[in-house]
Amino acid sequence: MALLVQVEALTKVYGRVRALDGVTFGVESGEWIAMMGPSGSGKTTLINILGGLDTPTSGRAVVDGVDVARFDEAGLTRYRAEKVGFIFQQFHLVSYLTAVENVMLAQYFHSMTDEGDAKRALERVGLGDRLEHLPAQLSGGEQQRVAVARALINHPKLLLADEPTGNLDEANERIVIDLLRELHAEGHTIVMVTHDASIGGLADRRIELAHGRLEQITSYTPER
Amino acid sequence: MFGRLLWRLLRGNRGRLTIALVAITAGAAVVSALLNMEIDVRQKLGEEFRTLGANVVVSGRGSGDAALLAAGKTEQAIQSAAPGGNAYAPYLYVVARTAEKRPVVLAGTWLDLAPALTPWWRIDGAAISSRDDANHCLVGRNVARQFSLSPGSSLELHYGENSARWTVSGVISAGDDEDDQVIANLASVQNLAALNDRIQMIQLRLSGAPQEFQKFSTQVESAAPGTEVRAIRQISQAEGNLLGRIQLLVLSMSVLILVLTGLCVLATMAALAMERRADVGLMKALGGTIGRVVTLFLAEVGVLGAAGGVLGYIAGAALTVWIGQRVFGAAISPRLEVLPLTVALTVAVALAGALPLRLLGRVKPAVILRGE
Repeated sequence: MALLVQVEALTKVYGRVRALDGVTFGVESGEWIAMMGPSGSGKTTLINILGGLDTPTSGRAVVDGVDVARFDEAGLTRYRAEKVGFIFQQFHLVSYLTAVENVMLAQYFHSMTDEGDAKRALERVGLGDRLEHLPAQLSGGEQQRVAVARALINHPKLLLADEPTGNLDEANERIVIDLLRELHAEGHTIVMVTHDASIGGLADRRIELAHGRLEQITSYTPER
Repeated sequence: MFGRLLWRLLRGNRGRLTIALVAITAGAAVVSALLNMEIDVRQKLGEEFRTLGANVVVSGRGSGDAALLAAGKTEQAIQSAAPGGNAYAPYLYVVARTAEKRPVVLAGTWLDLAPALTPWWRIDGAAISSRDDANHCLVGRNVARQFSLSPGSSLELHYGENSARWTVSGVISAGDDEDDQVIANLASVQNLAALNDRIQMIQLRLSGAPQEFQKFSTQVESAAPGTEVRAIRQISQAEGNLLGRIQLLVLSMSVLILVLTGLCVLATMAALAMERRADVGLMKALGGTIGRVVTLFLAEVGVLGAAGGVLGYIAGAALTVWIGQRVFGAAISPRLEVLPLTVALTVAVALAGALPLRLLGRVKPAVILRGE
């Protein structure tokens, strides 16, 4: 399989802190990667750089053939709209928009809105009966499923999930994990940050970071 | 989607936005009332001043016969200097004598217009409505008493070898010099005194600012050499000054109110900008350009300004009517042309008050999404 993500000697320095220190790895298209490590190990910094939310100090982060490090602000904005889908630990839904409007918001910034598509995305994550509900009227698990639908609506090349189950109870965690497994089975490329080893074990490979350095890569599935 | 987002933004923040809307509406109400009055006050004051009669006198320089003016030329100079129907009346004064050789001041004028320029006259009997009526005259109350005249009486006056006879139409009570005069048709007095086309002065009512009086004065004095233009009772000057001050007052009050309204919107928007940092961070993370995101918020503020302007105009119209009745004793009609001006001002003020939204441009999505 072709590499969708290629990270080479990626370094990010905040003042005196080296959040990432020469990290190198690759992610194949359709692969599910679990990014693990203790707090402050650089997981979120890495995922932010891959998502175009932050820029590296040095090194390369090539996603779908383009080096994210070389984009200017406008290029990063376009990249975020077209190439990646985010799922955050805190859900980050707009409180005054309904479930379907939260999904349409991603369409709006990408290109054109299509309410039918947005509804189908929500039906797909099991929220067909919650389309017009505001985030405050949804449970944590439902809110995270709205976020998943929003992340998928523009058919991104790369799905980035930062502790997607970190704020969920066990039942909702299972629902979201099942969704991620389905997406993986459909061929989506997923990079997921998690502290939970059991969830990390569902991925194809586990990349462990410590103090900004790549500690270990563990493969759970046979080499493709 | 833009309209839908806008609607949700307005609904989602209606608490804070209501405060801003109330501030804009209140500001717009006062500003539109002031603008309505500013437009109407000229007309109202003009009507008030007209009741004070003539405010300018054009006379000849010098004394005696040298001070007499050529009526046609002077009128022509006045008409070209102040076109647009400013009312005026020429006067010629002579001292005539009765059959008993008793002197009496005889004034010749346009009897159809003179009462309009001296609205304080009270006429017992009938006024004279025709400028060409050479058979009737008005007499002052002192003259009437002195010569036992009343409406219907006959009066014969002599000047040199000439004489003329009139029937008294009415008796004037003016509380002024006219009480001691006989006032008759200009042409008949000119004929009596053998002073055809000669007058001593023209009284007129000139409206406008002091600089307009100056301009009028210069033009008349240069077009008709030998004339002197004077403002009487300082009314012209006072009228112009008052209008200027009212305009300045309205302008400064409007600016002050708009600034205060803008500050209120500014405070509300600063709080909203802080609250919306998370939403903006998320929108940027989803690929929204800052231009697109801020346009959304500016549209929200624009709608708020326009709504406040319309509501304020309606409230201002009621305020205008109320103030008109309290101050002028007559309703001032709200002007429709004030509506677009009020809305434009409130939208501009609301947008100026939305300056804190610029801070949203600095929002870093990664920082916001970390919850910092």
